[in-house]
Amino acid sequence: MNIALKCDKITMKFGGLTAVNEFSAEIREHMIFGLIGPNGAGKTTAFNVITGNLKPTSGDVNFFGKSIVGLKPYKIVSMGMARTFQNIRLFSNLTVLENILTGFHHKLQYNIVDTVLRTPRYYKHEKEMRNTARELLKSVGLLDKADLKASGLPYGERREVEIARALATGPKLLLLDEPAAGMNPQETLNLMYFIQEVKESFNLTVFLIEHDMKFVMNLCETIAVLDHGVKIAEGNPEEIQKNPDVIRAYLGDIDA
Amino acid sequence: MNKKTILTVLSVVLLFLFLWYGDGHLSTYAMRIWEEVGIFLMLAASYNLINGVTGQFSLEPNGFVAIGAYVTAILILTPAQKEAMFIITPMVPWLQNLHMSFFPALIIGGLVTAFVGFLLGFPVFRVRGDYLAIVTLGFGLTIRVVSNNTVPITNGALGLKGLPTYTTIWWCWGWAVFAMIVIMRMVNSEFGRAMKAVRDDEDAAIAMGINTFWIKMTAFITAAFFEGVGGGLLASLITIISPTMFTFFLTFELLIIIVVGGLGSMTGTALATIVVIWGSEILRVVEQPMDIFGLHIPGIPGMRMVVFSVLLILIMIFAREGIMGQKEFSWDSLFNFFKKNKVAQK
Repeated sequence: MNIALKCDKITMKFGGLTAVNEFSAEIREHMIFGLIGPNGAGKTTAFNVITGNLKPTSGDVNFFGKSIVGLKPYKIVSMGMARTFQNIRLFSNLTVLENILTGFHHKLQYNIVDTVLRTPRYYKHEKEMRNTARELLKSVGLLDKADLKASGLPYGERREVEIARALATGPKLLLLDEPAAGMNPQETLNLMYFIQEVKESFNLTVFLIEHDMKFVMNLCETIAVLDHGVKIAEGNPEEIQKNPDVIRAYLGDIDA
Repeated sequence: MNKKTILTVLSVVLLFLFLWYGDGHLSTYAMRIWEEVGIFLMLAASYNLINGVTGQFSLEPNGFVAIGAYVTAILILTPAQKEAMFIITPMVPWLQNLHMSFFPALIIGGLVTAFVGFLLGFPVFRVRGDYLAIVTLGFGLTIRVVSNNTVPITNGALGLKGLPTYTTIWWCWGWAVFAMIVIMRMVNSEFGRAMKAVRDDEDAAIAMGINTFWIKMTAFITAAFFEGVGGGLLASLITIISPTMFTFFLTFELLIIIVVGGLGSMTGTALATIVVIWGSEILRVVEQPMDIFGLHIPGIPGMRMVVFSVLLILIMIFAREGIMGQKEFSWDSLFNFFKKNKVAQK
């Protein structure tokens, strides 16, 4: 199996604070990998380093064999890595369909001159993009919402649109930052099936951060635990549940 | 061509028919205001592209309009005129003998301004937030100081006088319609969606693979081009330009227009331009001396600005997002409106 993402001793320091300390992980293709840890453990920082939003103090990130440290985030997206945000960040004044369309931007096939002159090339590709976007929405079951404003959707659907929008960029690796945050148990369950489904139909590798233990334990094949920026454990769900270091990180020391 | 395109073309033809009729039948004063409306429509639409659609709070128009005005003015003045005008210091020789007709002068004015926008955009769009407003505000002031002191090029504080009056109603509205077409086509394409994405959430836009720096640059440079052309049209309309003419007040007026019309709405901008420009003319009445119920009020200069401000406050209270909000006028919505009325009547 190919290694999709390899983090090699990533360290991220903000002044005197070490948010992530020598984090290493290997994520194989087609797996669902979970990253958990108490609040402030540095999970989102690790995400931001991987997606290129932050430049690590030291360490290396390898994406399908290529080092991506120092590349601009939009460049990394065009290489096949997409992400969602902890607090849903849709383009609220655009419709659902338009939100999806922005995902095609990096492979746009007409230029500004085509746009202003409305050349046949513009019409052809604009139509193609719209059709592809509709197909994508159909495959994730959101087609009937295509022309609604993103801000008007209920919370659970907004999350699904956000994931669909990330899928529009044509990713090989999907990074989800707390996808189940703020959801009720039913929505969480739906989301679990949703992720499972898109993973299969889009042939993805998924890397997610989550607080909801049931969600992580049911969905992920491998889980890594981060505490105070340090990785304290990695393994399958059963191993993680029994790991004394993990229990101590979450519940405190029993002896103390 | 479908029905809607025909309607749009028809309404543009109707607009030009009105202007053609007005050219012969309306007073010179009224036509002068309509010329101003045309120029301001172009300026406001391009300003709305960067401020409303892309969501970058910029205060650049007065600086860019000044550059366009100066470049065009220098190009359309004859060598003899320039020689007579530059009495303190003679003009630099290569500019002294440069002379061309109106259209290329406008284009060059626009291109020079676009290039300045390009250079200015490089440092500013690398950072986010209020820096753009601060830099562009400062830029407007800098242009004023520069044009005051580069006497061999701009004739300093004396300004440039006696510009040939090429600007007619057709130039103004030709450019206005052209600018509207270009800008609206940009807005209704992937580039426009990317601009709106940057406005709504820049981080998410980056995460979608959008090169936000160049998207912002595209909007800024396009706006700069049309503002430069608008400056050239204004210069030839007013026939005199000086460093103190293009102050922050011009930017402020455009800001009023786009806020009243609705940030991000081009059709709203068109409506608001007419309302604001004609409004401030019609309101001149309140500055005349008048008698109300036997009470004599002498003319108070500046009174119309007070009334105008009150109107603006009312708009901000009752239509916070401007006349059109972020919506655009479309034939569909008009048809729907009439359909609904018909149903209601039954």
